[in-house]
Amino acid sequence: MTGSPDTAPLLSVEGLSKSYHGQRSLAHRLAGRPQTVVQAVNDVSFGIRRGEIMGLIGESGCGKSTLGRAILRLHEPTAGRVTFDGTDVTALPEAGMKAMRRRMQIIFQDPYASLNPRRTVAEIVGLPLRLHGLAKTPAEARDITAAIVEKVGLKTAHLDRYPHQFSGGQRQRIGIARALVSHPEFIVCDEPVSALDVSIQAQIIQLLTDLKREMGLTYLFISHDISVIGYLSDRVAVMYLGEIVEHGPVESVLSNPRHPYTQSLMSAVPEVDRPGHKHRVRLTGDLPSPLSPPKGCKFHTRCPLATDICRSKAPVTEKVGGGHAAACHRLHENLSLLEEEPA
Amino acid sequence: MNIQNDDTLLQVDGLRTVFDTRAGTVCAVDGVDVAVRRGECLGVVGESGSGKSVTFGSVMGLVRRPGRIDAGRILFDGRDLRALTPRQMRAIRGRDIAMTMQDALTALNPALTVGEQLAEVLEAHDEDLPTGRTARRRAIRDRSVEMLGLVGIPSPGTRLGQYPHEFSGGMRQRIMIAIALASKPKLLIADEPTTALDVTIQAQVLELISDIRAELGMSVVLITHDLGVVAEHCDRVMVMYAGQVVEQGPTADVICQPKHPYTKGLLGSIPRLSLRGERIHPIEGQVPELIDLPAQCRFYSRCRERGADCLKLIDMQDAGPARQARCIRVTPEAAQ
Repeated sequence: MTGSPDTAPLLSVEGLSKSYHGQRSLAHRLAGRPQTVVQAVNDVSFGIRRGEIMGLIGESGCGKSTLGRAILRLHEPTAGRVTFDGTDVTALPEAGMKAMRRRMQIIFQDPYASLNPRRTVAEIVGLPLRLHGLAKTPAEARDITAAIVEKVGLKTAHLDRYPHQFSGGQRQRIGIARALVSHPEFIVCDEPVSALDVSIQAQIIQLLTDLKREMGLTYLFISHDISVIGYLSDRVAVMYLGEIVEHGPVESVLSNPRHPYTQSLMSAVPEVDRPGHKHRVRLTGDLPSPLSPPKGCKFHTRCPLATDICRSKAPVTEKVGGGHAAACHRLHENLSLLEEEPA
Repeated sequence: MNIQNDDTLLQVDGLRTVFDTRAGTVCAVDGVDVAVRRGECLGVVGESGSGKSVTFGSVMGLVRRPGRIDAGRILFDGRDLRALTPRQMRAIRGRDIAMTMQDALTALNPALTVGEQLAEVLEAHDEDLPTGRTARRRAIRDRSVEMLGLVGIPSPGTRLGQYPHEFSGGMRQRIMIAIALASKPKLLIADEPTTALDVTIQAQVLELISDIRAELGMSVVLITHDLGVVAEHCDRVMVMYAGQVVEQGPTADVICQPKHPYTKGLLGSIPRLSLRGERIHPIEGQVPELIDLPAQCRFYSRCRERGADCLKLIDMQDAGPARQARCIRVTPEAAQ
């Protein structure tokens, strides 16, 4: 099922950027002040092979959700190209894009905000069928909807209920059913379990991995939770202030992180397994404002290893072997913030 | 480890907090016992609706109608808090017991500067302040700058004059901790202090609380849903489910050898890199409605180890040294 490494990726993203322009008041224009620009996603490139789960980690505000939405053109990218199964998605006219969305779907983070409170489950889940003309009769649409609703672990008796009658975990199942009903090939999972309790989170993760296997899906799985990403992704990309700073096979990146940001992220995660046996890297300060990102390497303001070159010149992404790459000036010095604690 | 009575700062016995609703009486907290020793950090773990916040809201006297404390005794530093007048309770709340809320943005007053909010606490609770008006104002300012510095806010002098919206999420949480600590409380109740924060900021805030605890010798109750946080920061842990304590004991013991099926399920639900390729074992089903609960184990419907003998009220059972669990399959270990 999974394509061999040299087959073309199902989805490839090249140089994708998304910036938002702030509004300029008349006073600002008269004073000749420049327009404020937030570079939410900056020149991001990666590929996802068919049947693969690509994890995307980063803290809030790093641009990971914007990236997910820019791929689906829910937010129109400012620059760059997205190719899906050989088709240049970014060049598609509106009608072509609409048809393409049958094959590319998204599951949202907030199961409360992403479902229309005035529609029943059957209407919410069945809408993609109507939009794409996938069912000939209303009866057929209802049958397809019922089947998918059962597949995600709800009951057909739930079809005529409204979202407020469900718990958070059940609502997330409704969102998953809506994404799956048109039989897509690729799904952007935008923090689908972050709003859920631990035991419910595990149920949804299990459901998503089971569905992926049964239906041959490909995921871009966005999360701030490294444990979740580590558990289910094949490859992982780490984002900081709009840029991918490190990417590669999940085992390699998470057990041997090379970028100081990934290293500090890893050390900040509290773990049940071996409490206290960790050398903690203390990152000082908060994420810099994306309105005025630091010059040079964007991480230098919080990086314990930063030197002069980091403050002036942006690093390029370099390979470290095995499909693992990172963008750091001091990559080849093999420095690690994570010293092994004496046992 | 000796458990003496004078070592216990907070002792809650048989607490029952209910909410009267149109659908019936919701028993959010049902027979909860808690003991917090001086200087220790107690972790309280549970999912939404398990009663962890209501338990400690009850301790703080913050339960309002339609909620009420139905039964139980709350002893703090030898005083029965439920017997106090509202005025006496106000003197304790914020001075001896402080609480930080999960959402710092809604807990802070958006219309007052951070300095004004810190000054409020100091005015109300700091008895060492000088009496002269100018001297008093200067002392308050000095203490406020000191507190913001303590929680790691850069240039605290200028930041005092800013409003909550001018700070980032991590800073707001730290400001709330500064306000809570301004009166040097004996007990800090931190309700999900890091849930809304990113991991690198979470680590900063939790280490800050640990450092200050060591410095001031205060006790901390850390309410969280994250077992990883408990494992790294708490001496003891109390696991709550559907309004009851289902397991409690020293953190390392509970996490390495959980006794209650719910604790086992919670630990088994955490995805990890080391579990790749293996199935995780989520707890099936959902938390029961807290109205008209049948007289049986509350975890019965979701339990993998259930049997006919679970269909009765289950008491906490001894489960080893300083450990208890609310499951009839649990027996105290003879050797440990």
